[in-house]
Amino acid sequence: MSAVATPARQVTGGISARTVNRIVIYGLLALFALFYLMPLFVMLVTSFKTMDEIQNGNMLALPQAPTFEPWIKAWSEVCSGLTCVGMKGYFWNSIKMVVPAVIISTLLGALNGYVLTKWRFRGATLVFALMLFACFIPFQSVLLPMATILGRFGRFGATLQNATGFSFGLGNSTVNLVFVHVVYGLGFTTLFFRNYYEAFPTELIKAAQVDGASFFQIFRRIMLPNSLPIIVVTVIYQFTNIWNDFLFASAYAGSGDVMPMTVALNNVVNTSTGVIEYNVNMAAAMIAALPTLLVYVVAGRYFVRGLMAGAVKG
Amino acid sequence: MAFLEIDGLKKRFGSVEILKGIDVDLEKGGFLVLVGPSGCGKSTLLNTIAGLETITEGEIRVDGRTINDLHPSKRDIAMVFQSYALYPNMTVAGNISFGMEMRGVPAVERQKAIDKVAKVLQIGHLLQRKPSQLSGGQRQRVAMGRALVRDPKLFLFDEPLSNLDAKLRVDMRIEIKRLHATTGTTIVYVTHDQIEAMTLATKIAVMRDGEVQQFGTPAEIYNNPTNLFVADFMGSPAMNLVPATIGGNGNALSVVLQRDAREPISLPLADAPAGLSAFQGKPVIFGVRPEALTDPEGAERNASNIATADCHIEVIEPAGSDTFAVTNLGGKAVVARLRADANIQPGTVTPLAFNLTKAVFFDPATENRIV
Amino acid sequence: MTTVATQIKLTPEHNARPGASVRSHLQDALPKIVLAPSFAITIVFVYGFILWTIYLSFTNSKTFPSYAITGPRAYQRLWRWTFESDPPSSWYTSITNMGIFGFLYIFICLALGLFLAILLDQKIRGEGVLRPIYLYPMALSFIVTGVAWKWFLDPGLGLEQTLHQWGWTSFHFDWIKNKDFVIYTVVIAGVWQASGFIMAMFLAGLRGIDGEIMKAAQIDGATTFQLYRRIVIPLLRPIFLSAFIVLAHLAIKSYDLVVALTSGGPGGSAWLPSNFMYEFTFKRNEMAVGSASAVIMLMTITAIIVPYLYSELRERPR
Repeated sequence: MSAVATPARQVTGGISARTVNRIVIYGLLALFALFYLMPLFVMLVTSFKTMDEIQNGNMLALPQAPTFEPWIKAWSEVCSGLTCVGMKGYFWNSIKMVVPAVIISTLLGALNGYVLTKWRFRGATLVFALMLFACFIPFQSVLLPMATILGRFGRFGATLQNATGFSFGLGNSTVNLVFVHVVYGLGFTTLFFRNYYEAFPTELIKAAQVDGASFFQIFRRIMLPNSLPIIVVTVIYQFTNIWNDFLFASAYAGSGDVMPMTVALNNVVNTSTGVIEYNVNMAAAMIAALPTLLVYVVAGRYFVRGLMAGAVKG
Repeated sequence: MAFLEIDGLKKRFGSVEILKGIDVDLEKGGFLVLVGPSGCGKSTLLNTIAGLETITEGEIRVDGRTINDLHPSKRDIAMVFQSYALYPNMTVAGNISFGMEMRGVPAVERQKAIDKVAKVLQIGHLLQRKPSQLSGGQRQRVAMGRALVRDPKLFLFDEPLSNLDAKLRVDMRIEIKRLHATTGTTIVYVTHDQIEAMTLATKIAVMRDGEVQQFGTPAEIYNNPTNLFVADFMGSPAMNLVPATIGGNGNALSVVLQRDAREPISLPLADAPAGLSAFQGKPVIFGVRPEALTDPEGAERNASNIATADCHIEVIEPAGSDTFAVTNLGGKAVVARLRADANIQPGTVTPLAFNLTKAVFFDPATENRIV
Repeated sequence: MTTVATQIKLTPEHNARPGASVRSHLQDALPKIVLAPSFAITIVFVYGFILWTIYLSFTNSKTFPSYAITGPRAYQRLWRWTFESDPPSSWYTSITNMGIFGFLYIFICLALGLFLAILLDQKIRGEGVLRPIYLYPMALSFIVTGVAWKWFLDPGLGLEQTLHQWGWTSFHFDWIKNKDFVIYTVVIAGVWQASGFIMAMFLAGLRGIDGEIMKAAQIDGATTFQLYRRIVIPLLRPIFLSAFIVLAHLAIKSYDLVVALTSGGPGGSAWLPSNFMYEFTFKRNEMAVGSASAVIMLMTITAIIVPYLYSELRERPR
């Protein structure tokens, strides 16, 4: 839809109503841009200020003497609870959790979408509906049983550890979180791929069948090479969601050196011993924000498309 | 024994019967066209031959071998799809050789086969391109190349020309016909375009609602349609189908057509079909193709039964090669095909010649042809 | 499948390969085999766990799950607390907060989102810059941006202090420390996070409207305002529905918003049911009550989502 052209009416002074109109519109848009940018701006400038400047200066002022000190401290010294080793360990915890969880859930979602659209069977829609509904449940309703099951895994892992010397990852917090995020991300990834493959020409599958390609050959040679856009969308969506998750992380890896970034950050910010170092807190928050922010800046288009696909079903 | 035999084929989805017992066969080297309106089951029938859809009942044999339960790739068929179904991620060469790759044909042989097909279809210069870089006609050629390279027993075409513009469609139609003539392969071809059906086929199956309405050569279908549906569907412009009554007595039958505000036309029938005498005084549907209704000078000289009647001309459509005149008979618009230079004005009353040798009659109750 | 079996007996070609029938059966079942693990996981870890949670809500589980059914005691307690307004029970606070937060969050996001979308649709230069600015909060964890918000809303540090420095010394803004107003700060932060996304949804909807309809309305003499009120907004109805669904389920799931911004607020005054559930289950050792509250949350979402999913997914006639 194109914008509506309002006929220009002359008003006294020679400024047309249309010009006034434009000024008001741009003014409002700029005002809201400030509203949205403010927190990020405050975080960014504060993270480069000294504590002195923070206590005596204006929060919106640019740093007088920019310093990287808060960032360095946040990365390698800041205290989360009683341990003071910086955010770096937790950052890697998050990376180790996010990468496998994203890869596994995306791959499973692609396979599910492929089956649900190109190998339809009786009840396929019901299966999809059940998986889709899982996207919407408040995770509180599965939090407790999952905690119990993960506890069992842990004990079983310890038994295996004693018996075989290897726990197969059972009981490891990172493995647990990967598992949890794959389980509760499946609905989304399946939804994305199903909607994408729904519009994927079925004649290509038929042609490949006539050519003698098997189920997996069709998937690997025909579907996947033509799925790049939706793979990007899914990966970005999952990456952002899993990186930003707080509920599962705090429930299943809520303390010690296994915490992911979000939980550690929340601990850092709420650590009440001594003087609160706002600049370090802000730097820590920026470190936690950087990966998703980077993804957003580089591929925001795909991020938005993912959100939309999750919102508008078909 | 025919080369392709389909016996009592039925296909049900739940309680819905898509194909209601199809019996069709085709000699080796024949060109069978399945034609009908959308939803008639023609594409489903083609898919069952390809093995892309299972069948509920019946049997499909190719060259004497039952192929009902074989995987599509084991049926020795090749298929050209409506959307061409070229794999967008592969080059033209990759598309053509994918089937061979799946069957484990060594790269050297694949290359030889690609080159051969590329030469036949003159697509050698396109081999390294992706489908998105091709024009519609080029894609069509590549899709045919992918089918040709298999050298199958049976070619299946699923509305292959419907995505092309009008001019290209005619060119490709001729190309397919030439290909059929030179390679002598057996082809099953689905289309909703009756002109394609007429021009390409050696045999036509006209389908409606999962049933074959008529199965025969193009000439049989055109000249002797078995029912109203076939008569109406085949031919362009369509056959005029006019409500009429049969008049006359004894052997001298005539067909009576109503006109607005004027006395009806009565046309004497010289060699009426035998069944028509039972319809004396009763309503029938009178069918006459536009080319059998013309200006008296343009009428076929050696036709045995030509009757002339004055008609009120409502509209004139000069089409260049012909001029079509629209009159009103029996409450319906009736199209006559005149010579391009026929001097007729709209709003005038002009004599038109009815070639009654070519006329057909249908029972309005059963919609079947009266013979 | 019976035809397959007879076929194997009849044709010698099949006899030569006795494994063929097993293999072809396997081929037929393969898609289902591939889907099965995901489906099983969903059934067990979503629906099984939901049932498990429902079961727990009928026990007297405290710190650890107990599996002896003791009846709907947890629900009775929640029911009693629902009316305990003076002093307010945590549950009363949570559900009233949910009402306030849910209504304002959804309403303001829809209104603001639509407003911004319409503004952005006026052939704006720099739309490519503005749109990502409005939308980025959705990409960041609220645990992250909450750090800034908390500071910004803190009366001793943020907005209040800044305005004092600029000379407006009478300015007073301490909602975040006030138990009656703390929930409204959660609304502000929530709207800040989600409204840009709602804007993007509406903008996509606006761009999808047939330009000829707009031209026709202009020729009919509609003013810009009439055009939007009578033509455009009614055409955006499906977007309103989708946006409502998204916002409703985000609202009910909101958890980290409250934690990061207020740490629960003074005396738990900023709690939403999701915080109530977490606190009662993991901090106050009232697992049965926590489970019961989770079940109530789930029921609320189900009542909104299921009709929506049903209408979206029902087989359309082909």
